[in-house]
Amino acid sequence: MTDRNRKTGWFFAAPLVVVLIPFFIATIAVVLIASFLEHDGFGGMIASFTLENYADLLRSDLTWKLYLSMVKFSVLTWIGTLVIGFWVAYFLVFHVRNPLLSIGLFLLGTVPFWTSNIIRMISWIPLLGKEGLINSTLRATGVIDEPLEFLLFSDFAVVVAYVHQLTIFMIVPIFNSMARIDKRTIEAALDAGATRSEIMRWIVVPLSKSGIALGSIFVLSMVMGDFFVVKVMSGGGSASIVSALFEDIAVLQYPPAAANAVVLLIVVVVVISLILRTVDVRKEITR
Amino acid sequence: MSNSTPHRRIRTLDEPGKPWTFWVLLAVFVAYVLALYGPMFCIYILSFQDLRGGLVFPMKGLSVHWFVDLFTQVRTGDVKGGFQRSIVLAAMVTVLTVVGSFMAGMAFRQRFKGDTVVFYLMIGSLVAPGLVLGIGIGMLFQYFGIEAAWYSSALGAHLSWTLPFGVLVMFAVMARFDRAWEEAARDLGASSWQVIRMVVIPILAPGLVAVALFGFTLSYDEFSRSLQTSGSLNTLPLEIWSMTLNVTSPSLYALGTVTTIASFLIIGLCLGLIAYLQRRRARRVAGA
Amino acid sequence: MTIEKGDIELAGVFKRFGNFTAVDGVNLKVPDGAYCCFLGPSGCGKTTILRMIAGHEDPTEGEILIGGQNVVGMPPVQRRTAMMFQSYALFPHLSVRDNVAFALRVRGQSKQERYRAADSMLERVHITELADRLPGQLSGGQQQRVALARAAITEPKVLLLDEPLSALDEQLRIQMRTELRRMQRDLGITFIHVTHTQLEAISLADIVVVMERGKIKQAAPARDVYAQPKDRYVAEFLGGQNVLSGKVERINGETVLINAPDTEGIVVPLRDGMRPRDGAAVDIAVRRDDIRLRRPAAGAAADGWNAVNTRVLAVEYQGMYVKVILDSGSDREFVAYVPEREFFETAFSIGEIVVATWMAGQSLLLA
Repeated sequence: MTDRNRKTGWFFAAPLVVVLIPFFIATIAVVLIASFLEHDGFGGMIASFTLENYADLLRSDLTWKLYLSMVKFSVLTWIGTLVIGFWVAYFLVFHVRNPLLSIGLFLLGTVPFWTSNIIRMISWIPLLGKEGLINSTLRATGVIDEPLEFLLFSDFAVVVAYVHQLTIFMIVPIFNSMARIDKRTIEAALDAGATRSEIMRWIVVPLSKSGIALGSIFVLSMVMGDFFVVKVMSGGGSASIVSALFEDIAVLQYPPAAANAVVLLIVVVVVISLILRTVDVRKEITR
Repeated sequence: MSNSTPHRRIRTLDEPGKPWTFWVLLAVFVAYVLALYGPMFCIYILSFQDLRGGLVFPMKGLSVHWFVDLFTQVRTGDVKGGFQRSIVLAAMVTVLTVVGSFMAGMAFRQRFKGDTVVFYLMIGSLVAPGLVLGIGIGMLFQYFGIEAAWYSSALGAHLSWTLPFGVLVMFAVMARFDRAWEEAARDLGASSWQVIRMVVIPILAPGLVAVALFGFTLSYDEFSRSLQTSGSLNTLPLEIWSMTLNVTSPSLYALGTVTTIASFLIIGLCLGLIAYLQRRRARRVAGA
Repeated sequence: MTIEKGDIELAGVFKRFGNFTAVDGVNLKVPDGAYCCFLGPSGCGKTTILRMIAGHEDPTEGEILIGGQNVVGMPPVQRRTAMMFQSYALFPHLSVRDNVAFALRVRGQSKQERYRAADSMLERVHITELADRLPGQLSGGQQQRVALARAAITEPKVLLLDEPLSALDEQLRIQMRTELRRMQRDLGITFIHVTHTQLEAISLADIVVVMERGKIKQAAPARDVYAQPKDRYVAEFLGGQNVLSGKVERINGETVLINAPDTEGIVVPLRDGMRPRDGAAVDIAVRRDDIRLRRPAAGAAADGWNAVNTRVLAVEYQGMYVKVILDSGSDREFVAYVPEREFFETAFSIGEIVVATWMAGQSLLLA
């Protein structure tokens, strides 16, 4: 039995493994190796071993500034997507009685996901710009005299774009885990005299934990690995780690970029492992 | 039974009248949907301006000038080619993702030696920054002297992201799958392959459709992973990206409108096909 | 060689899952065409035995013979067994007809052929009108009939039923019980039925197999396990018995004299093969409906009757009889079922001191 399990297990896992070996394991290995090489400044790499790339990286003020802003954007985006995602999912699961309507509204929330991220991001420009819809409306109604500058090409715009793009990744897993909460549990708690906030604390939040964890993994890994949102929406004011790393690639300096990538990868893995420690994602979603 | 017991008010979920939280959350939901669609509708509208049109409101004129511009101007790049490549690539990714996720989902239902390693590698592949993987894959191909192309290196780069995603969706889908169905089928004499073909796949079909939709959109939209892996020919998101950098006319918005329509057509076509197949099955069941 | 008969033999069957022994050395013979019920609490190994007979699980040790052939390692179909799963496991995407015809589709029969067979099967279980429905549109009882038809279409020699009635409500359960027995007689094949409800087992089965922790405690006709339980576990699990503990005072030829903590001189007949030592602790069983209650004033008990002084703790009216709960001096239940008319002739009140008596020959020494 166990022997049969092992064989069929590997047989079924084979396609996944076949993709992961070259396109993840070997790829990361290549990046790791490159990070220890010297470069000639013309796109070539010299077979050697140096820690200079890492030393340069960690000595640079820019690196620390970038990580600081990454933390800032990650936290703000995480809070934004979690709050909106949780309540939207809660509304759809517990307040919309008709299951068909609930699924319909759920799909309504996912439809924009089917269009280009970049397009969705730049679609904020006509709204948030200096002469955008919000500023001109506010000016026309006399609320403000001068256009609000912080709306576009600012940290605010970056967070707005992130939340706009990523909330869906929070809603889907939370919706999934909430949909599996037995409604009778809640009725029983109501009968036992539990208040709304007690039900929330004792039943809904604990039972949605796996969804929240999974959503957080998606959102945080995408913010930390972001390439273009910060670049465009901050108007060049700030950059993300990845866009900074791409600057090196653009001038063919692979080893420094690789060192940068390795450090980023470590940070991402640490953050995700911390989330995974709070909940056994595999067990929770399989059952 | 005595009547003297005081009546305790029993609250249930089906209490008539909505609680105040319903209205608050309805407001949250509506605000969310508006914020989701609002900006996009702005650019759809703005893409129909005429020659004088700019990037912001108010609307100047009404024409399809910028759509014509999009497909005729050299500076807007190879939108049509990018679009075709992206569709083909997304289709390939979709098929491979559905097959791979389905199989991996089957694999992870039981424990097998090394399953935890595979699982965490998969999570790693899911969370790794896309551009980093793209750069690595680019270097890997360079090292082996293989030319990077959208149908090889970019395909692999996309799969390194859509496949783990699809497997997670599969997990959620399979959590609702009762293994007794498989045993019942085996009990009735079905071979392993017959069990999969006649019982597992048909029952999981809606979940597999969900995996397909995810696979398609994730690939069709993928930018970071394509940047260093698609070789000399661009996919659509790369075209869009270079347009955002170079083009400051409503052409950009026209592209947004066109890609949105295209993805809706594709999704609609898929869903229509599913509805048709289901109706046919229902008819077969009813009229046998 | 194909299996032609549905007699089953389990010989030294063990099943271990890691450190846990689910089935612990089981030996059993079930004749062809018998209705056999495995009875026991959840986790006692009864379902594991069923699944091993079905071929969904292999024994760690031992042989399973069907029709005289060792079937260990054989796929289910070759064993000529069919299983009805606990929640029926009907294929949700297939109509009732397609569900029933599934086994024939797997064998590659043409649609026409298999639908004809399925329709005649549906007729036998009286659900012809449901043929085009999907399982989701059926009631529990209807689903059970479909499951039965789907299993029976393979013309098995043994039908294995895993808690087949547990998903139904009380009324339907009694109705389907009768139906199962009728089907078994119609088909003339061996039924192995797993349940945790005693009433279900003794009302249906030719042979009741009582299990505890992977072991068979008693395998016998329904009346035997109920009226002649072998040990305390069987007596208590089947219910209907009072179990008393005491020490052997001495053995007098065919009977044993036993002293309980607050009663002396209880006489119990010796049972075949049992010969407890003097002073040994033993359990005895007395059927609840064999107990007669009387007031102490009514004088000493007649010869050949045992008597225990006790007190009425509670009275429950049950319709046909009255359940009188007596003080056993311990936390063990001591109950008398008094026929309804008889009870109301004397009408004992709660707290009253009474004497519980029974004929010595009706009590039972337990292993």
